[in-house]
Amino acid sequence: MNDAEEPLPGPFRRSFWRSPIRGPWLTSVLGLILLAGIVVMFVTGLLSYAAYNPALSGINDQTPGKGLLGFYLFSWPAHPEWLYRVNQGAHVIVGLALVPFLLAKLWSVLPRLFEWPPVRNPAHALERLSLFLLVGGGVFEFATGIINIQQWYVFPGSFYTLHFYGAWVFVAAFVVHACLKAPTVIRTLRSRRLMRELRTDTAHTRPEPADAGSLVSPAPAAPTISRRGALAFAGAGSLLLVALSIGQSVGGPLRRTALLAPHGQETGDFQINVTAAEGGITAALTGTDWRLTLVGPGPGTLITLTRAQLLAMPQHTAALSINCVEGWSSGDQAWAGVPLRDLARLAGVQHPASLLVESLQRRGGFRRSVLSAGQVMDPDALLALRVNGTDLSPDHGYPARVIVPASPGVHNTKWVARMTFGS
Amino acid sequence: MRRLLRWYGANPLHLLALLGCFALAGYAAARLVPSRPLGVAVWFTAAVVGHDLLLVPLYSLADRSAMAAIRHRAPQLPAVPWINYLRVPAGLSALLLLVWFPLILRLHTRYQASTTLSPDPFLWHWLAVTGALFLLSAAAFAVRLRAARRAVAPPARSPRPAVQPASERREHRPQDRDGDHNPGHLAGGGVPARDEQADPGEHPGRPAGT
Repeated sequence: MNDAEEPLPGPFRRSFWRSPIRGPWLTSVLGLILLAGIVVMFVTGLLSYAAYNPALSGINDQTPGKGLLGFYLFSWPAHPEWLYRVNQGAHVIVGLALVPFLLAKLWSVLPRLFEWPPVRNPAHALERLSLFLLVGGGVFEFATGIINIQQWYVFPGSFYTLHFYGAWVFVAAFVVHACLKAPTVIRTLRSRRLMRELRTDTAHTRPEPADAGSLVSPAPAAPTISRRGALAFAGAGSLLLVALSIGQSVGGPLRRTALLAPHGQETGDFQINVTAAEGGITAALTGTDWRLTLVGPGPGTLITLTRAQLLAMPQHTAALSINCVEGWSSGDQAWAGVPLRDLARLAGVQHPASLLVESLQRRGGFRRSVLSAGQVMDPDALLALRVNGTDLSPDHGYPARVIVPASPGVHNTKWVARMTFGS
Repeated sequence: MRRLLRWYGANPLHLLALLGCFALAGYAAARLVPSRPLGVAVWFTAAVVGHDLLLVPLYSLADRSAMAAIRHRAPQLPAVPWINYLRVPAGLSALLLLVWFPLILRLHTRYQASTTLSPDPFLWHWLAVTGALFLLSAAAFAVRLRAARRAVAPPARSPRPAVQPASERREHRPQDRDGDHNPGHLAGGGVPARDEQADPGEHPGRPAGT
């Protein structure tokens, strides 16, 4: 059906869309960039969920109704130490870097939203329905992720629930879309040489030949930007977002370069994400009356320790970073304290199956977490009492906190009150 | 069977792939939706139309307004295509705002309470980056303008061949795909949506050809 047969209003008329650079080639290039990026996002996202060790205990599982979607879960290792830091940093940085390309891709296929007739046959109807899931799921994932790292909790429910199940809705549609479009993409990319396209300036930019998919304008305006320019524009946006935020993941002197990222500011010592005041921790709770309770698997094994007694035990020092699901890292700090495996031995178990850590915290999530055998037995996994040569500050978890290599920040429980070893 | 497929409009693999997609998406959605069905539905729908029906009209309007306003108000438009020197810094600045608006606009986030960090710097950082982007763009434009003026105004001792201005102008005439150097022909146009060049005499500041 064309304009001559049936004059349509506004955007439903194909000649309404006049950009001379819109066409299958540009869309395919953008699609390919998104394909690569979204594979990284999906894999790092799945790993990020596994890092919470949700299969170990319901306490760790933010999405207990996951069913088959947890098919791939495995026990999260404590080494290499940078594993979670790199995974999470990559997830957030790549996500930010993809935003301009996502916007460009949505722009490039805009006329499709208004295609006429809206439904040609059942196949077309189903495919459009899957595009509803693709666009809705994709933008939903980016929006929830970006809003969550700014701690603006306005979404309808738990971030974990929304972002995890939303990801599966998106990926279902994404895989099908990638498969259905693969032949078109391959054909289109072969039709124009990339290097030649990247040498073509605005003055020499011509519309692509008319396509079956109705992306190419039948009435193109004169170009004001080349395809090269449009790709460079999106790429510049990508680089800018990365440049202004990567410092919060890298840490050190680069942190100050993260001008637009939540954890780009220097603190007195290093980054925190829950304060003592937020957690309902008072001086009375953490004063001289504070005791650590160790519960062993044997009948009646219950040991209480004062902070002085803990400090009298052999201390181990490890350089570890706190790494958040939000993508930032504290950078390495020198933690000193008692190895968790020494505490296990004290509680009467050489090889604990798990460790339940409970905090004094009265408010907020992640007051409890369960660590795996591998995490407890790692020589660098500590109940830390001191950091960088001084006692922990209240906001860093005084009187004692857990620090485990390669684990999500929220599993490094602060203000520890009780530790229960499972056999 | 063949009739059924003709009615469907694609091959059976297409149908199978889409059914697989809906099965998996439905499985996940059954876990996503029940907690707060209305909220999730609103967010999802907003995600579908947010770009196409909200952002696009906004940025298209901004782009066209900028073009129209400058074209009509500036008495001496430079010969160098200028819109991208405006578009790029403005677009990049808008992108940063789109991503970081909860922090930049100091919305009611948990940020300060949780991190003890001040939410104040983000607005200034964004403004500073925006300023820097426009400055860089202006500098790039100045360099480009200078190069264009030099190319157009050669030293008096060695006057250029008569066709030179036309080839200069041709640089800004994308539709001139046949390489036609005839200025008279060029002014005639036949080029859609190129009104700023339809009448070269309208722009006395244009160095080429006028």
